[in-house]
Amino acid sequence: MLQTVRALALALLLVAPPGAPAKPDRIVSLGLCTDQLLLLLAERAQIASLSSWVADPEMSYLADAVGDIPLHNGSAEQVVGFAPDLVIASEFVGSDAVRLLRRLGYEVRRLPVATSIDQTYRQLERIGEWTGNPERAADVVASMRARLAQIRARYADRPVRRVIRYAPNGYTVGSGTLEHDLFAYAGYRNLAAEMGITGFRSISLETLLAADPDVLQIDRRLARGASLANSRLEHPALARLAARRELLDIPTPLRICAGPMIVDAIELMAARR
Amino acid sequence: MNLPALDARLLYAILLAALAAAFALALGTGPVALDLSGALAAAWRDETSIEALILFDIRLPRALLALVIGATLGLGGAALQGLLRNPLAEPGIIGVSNGAALGAVVVFYYGFTGVAWFVLPLGGLLGALLAVGCLFALVGNSRSTVTLILAGIAINAIGGALIALALNFAESPFAVQEIVFWLLGSVANRSFDDLLIALPFMILGWGLILYCGRFLNALTLGEETALSLGFDVAWLRLVLVLGVAASVGAAVSVAGNIGFVGLVVPHLVRPLVAYEPRRLLAASALVGAILLLCADVAVQLVSADAEMKLGVVTALVGAPFFLLLILKSRNTLQ
Repeated sequence: MLQTVRALALALLLVAPPGAPAKPDRIVSLGLCTDQLLLLLAERAQIASLSSWVADPEMSYLADAVGDIPLHNGSAEQVVGFAPDLVIASEFVGSDAVRLLRRLGYEVRRLPVATSIDQTYRQLERIGEWTGNPERAADVVASMRARLAQIRARYADRPVRRVIRYAPNGYTVGSGTLEHDLFAYAGYRNLAAEMGITGFRSISLETLLAADPDVLQIDRRLARGASLANSRLEHPALARLAARRELLDIPTPLRICAGPMIVDAIELMAARR
Repeated sequence: MNLPALDARLLYAILLAALAAAFALALGTGPVALDLSGALAAAWRDETSIEALILFDIRLPRALLALVIGATLGLGGAALQGLLRNPLAEPGIIGVSNGAALGAVVVFYYGFTGVAWFVLPLGGLLGALLAVGCLFALVGNSRSTVTLILAGIAINAIGGALIALALNFAESPFAVQEIVFWLLGSVANRSFDDLLIALPFMILGWGLILYCGRFLNALTLGEETALSLGFDVAWLRLVLVLGVAASVGAAVSVAGNIGFVGLVVPHLVRPLVAYEPRRLLAASALVGAILLLCADVAVQLVSADAEMKLGVVTALVGAPFFLLLILKSRNTLQ
C-alpha cells in the first residue's frame, strides 16, 4: 500500500514541471483579484483556468470578459488537472492549496496584497513580468496615472468630506488599506482611520453613530440571502442616521481588488463630493 | 414550610429594585461614553440627536431584550426542573434551545421570514417542541438524572450539528460565521423589531407556564398524588411543555442559544421561596432577567467593539456551577 502511494507521489513529481518558463502558457489563478489581473494583462491563450469568483458580476469587474475560460473552485486537485506551468495567488488566498501545490512541485507565485494605489501599480507591473507582457502592464499603469491626475484636477475645488464605510457585520476600513487610499485620493477623510483603526475591523453601531460622518458608505449588495451580518445593516438606528446623511454606494467590483477599476471608484466618489 | 407573606412581598420588592438597577446599568453601558441624564435631556430637545439614537434605538431594545430573554430562560428552567422533577433540567442543557435555534435558522436563512412576522418565532417554537418530544421519547417517566443528561447530550449534539449543516448550505456568504451566534447567543445589534417579533410568543409561553404553578406544586408529591388531587396530569404537562417551547423558542429565535441561565437561576432562588415550585416560577423569571442584564453588561465591558457572545459569559459562570451541582448531588441522585 505504502509503496503504491510512494510510486504515485513520485509519478506526480515527475509530471510536474520544474519552474515557470519566461512566457508561461498554462497559467492558473487561484483568486478573484489575480483572476482579473490575468484577464487584463495576459493573452487569452496563456490562461488555463480562473477561479469561479471571476464570473460573478456582483464581485468581478471583468465577469463579461471570462468567456469560455474554464473555471475552478480553488481545490488543488482541480488545479493539477489543468497541468499549469505557473500558478498565481494573492497572499492569504488558498493557503492549503498553495502549500500542497508547492509540495507537488508546481511553480506558485504569491502576489502581496496591495494596500495603496502605488502598490497597485507595482502589482500590475509584476503580473506583466510574470506573464511575459511587461509592455501591456506599463500601458495600463500609464493610463491609470493620467486619468487620476485628470480627476484630481477636475474636483480639486470641492470640499473635503468625512466618510465611514460600514459593511455587513459592522466591518469598516482603517488606514493601511487600499480602500483608505481610495478615499484619500477621492478627497475624503476616513473617520475610521482617525479613530486609530488600521486594516479591517468591526466597529459597533454606537461607535459609528457617535463618529457622525457626513457620508456613509454602506454595502448592501455584497450579501446575498438573509444573514445576521446583513440584518445589522437594516438596524433602525442606522436607517435613521442614513436618512439624514449622504449615502455613497460604490459597486463592490470597483473597489475590492487592485487594478484599473479603482480609478472608476475614485471618480465616482470624487464626483459625489 | 411557607415563609410569611410579608417576606414574599419583601423578596419581590428587592428583586424588582435589583432589576431596575441592572436595567439602568445596562442602559448606561456601551462602547460610547454616554451620560444618562445628559442623553435624556438631549433626546428631549431633539429626538433625532445622536444621543437619542444611541439610547433609544440601540441600548433600550437591547436591554429590554436581555430582560425578557433572561426572564424566559429563568422561568423555563424552573418549569422544566419542576416538570421533570430533576435539578439538571434546563432548556439549554436538554437540547430545547438548540432545537429552537435549528427551527429559527431554517426559517431565517432560507428566506421564510418574508412570509409573515410570526414565522421566525414559530420556527423556534416548532424546533423546541421537536426537541422536547425527543426528550420525552428518550426519558419517558424515568426520573434518572443519567438518562436525562444522556438524552440531553444526544439532542443537543444533533441540534448543533443540524444548525451547522443548515448554515453550510445557506446562500449567504456570512452564514457559516454565524453558527457562533446561534450556539452562544447574543443580544448585540438587536432592535425593537426583534423584540416585537418575540414578545407575543414569550408572553403566551409565560402565561401557560404560570397557569401550571399549582400543578407543579402537586407534582412534587408524585404523579399519582397529583392525579388524585384532581389535576389532569397529561393535559397540564402538555400545556407546560407548550409554554416552555413558545417562550424559549421565541427567545432563541432572536438571540440564539444562551446556556446555563435556566439551570443556575432556579437553584439560586429555591431557598428564597421555601422550595415551593409555584413561587419559584415568578422569582426565577426576575432573577433570570437580572442575571442576563448583568451578563450583557459584562460582555460589553470586556470587549466594546468586537463583542464577545453572551453565551460565553453565562457558560463561564454557569458551567462551574453545573459541576458543583453534579458533585454535590452525586450521592443523593443515584
